Amino acid sequence: MNQAIYNFAVWLDTHGWSTALHESFYLYNWIETTHVLTLMFSLGLLFLIDLRMLGLALPGIPAGDLARRLHLPMLLGFSIMLITGLLLFYAIPVRTAQSLWFRMKVVLMVAAAINAWCFHHSMTTAGTGWDTARKAPPALQWGAGLSLCFWMLIVVFGRLIAYDWFDCRTGPPEPFATLSGCINEQTHY
Amino acid sequence: MALLKASLWLALPLVAFVSWQARGHHAFSAEFDKEAPVSLEGAVTKVEWINPHAWIHLAVIDDDGTSVAWMVEGGTPNTLLRSGIHKNSLPIGSEIKVRGYQAKDKTCVPACKANGRDLTFADGRKVFMGSSGTGAPRDGADPRER
Repeated sequence: MNQAIYNFAVWLDTHGWSTALHESFYLYNWIETTHVLTLMFSLGLLFLIDLRMLGLALPGIPAGDLARRLHLPMLLGFSIMLITGLLLFYAIPVRTAQSLWFRMKVVLMVAAAINAWCFHHSMTTAGTGWDTARKAPPALQWGAGLSLCFWMLIVVFGRLIAYDWFDCRTGPPEPFATLSGCINEQTHY
Repeated sequence: MALLKASLWLALPLVAFVSWQARGHHAFSAEFDKEAPVSLEGAVTKVEWINPHAWIHLAVIDDDGTSVAWMVEGGTPNTLLRSGIHKNSLPIGSEIKVRGYQAKDKTCVPACKANGRDLTFADGRKVFMGSSGTGAPRDGADPRER
């Protein structure tokens, strides 16, 4: 598994575009800035929805209404965030693929996606009777709470990728070395 | 009101995290030791011209004649270009002098690591190579520093 991820990252690293991005004067900086701006935009909207479900924000606005109306702009922001995130990975694939923080971030993103799917499913089956209640039904509250936790950790772990703690180059102890998939970091950052 | 309260509760751990980070926004005090200034003279062995931080590798001959590998972190390629360092100005083998601060991690594996403040070319031209506002000491290396 670690070997396969490593081989894939090395293959990406052989692309001229990956190197061009990594060495660019402006593009990398613009992509990184856009990633952070869309993160604030889409997570800002997501957190409003989650907090409304938990009865902690905008109590006067019907919950389902809020979720439906913020859905599209949130997804637009998400798409740009995802594309810029993939480009950032593409620019520095070998180091990032062997970063413990990045790996934890990806696992949490998968968890957040499953949680979002379940949340969406509960919302469509829950009807609209609860719309004006202060709090959403328990299943939706759990989903909203998990979504808040997952995304806050994703942001923190994403930030920590920039630091060299647990970097393979520093020879981290087990189990961190295996979890990071240390094979050969090659590039720095 | 509920929104305000909720945002406060959400913001608290984030603020705590950010203020902890602010002691070392990437990367100075998280990775480098302001009590360990270094002045390195040697030949360039490799330049990693990469975002978000470029790395200049050099071989430094120490007092007893052994060659020690150092890697020095600079700003982004853009920052370096603006201060007058570009790909062609650092050919492999050229002699340079770098002042900066050593990393907290002093194990020197695979090379001794430092954060570069300024770089002096063989012809005596001296340029700033770090990025400011990241917690590096105000040592006069940055001409824009006030």
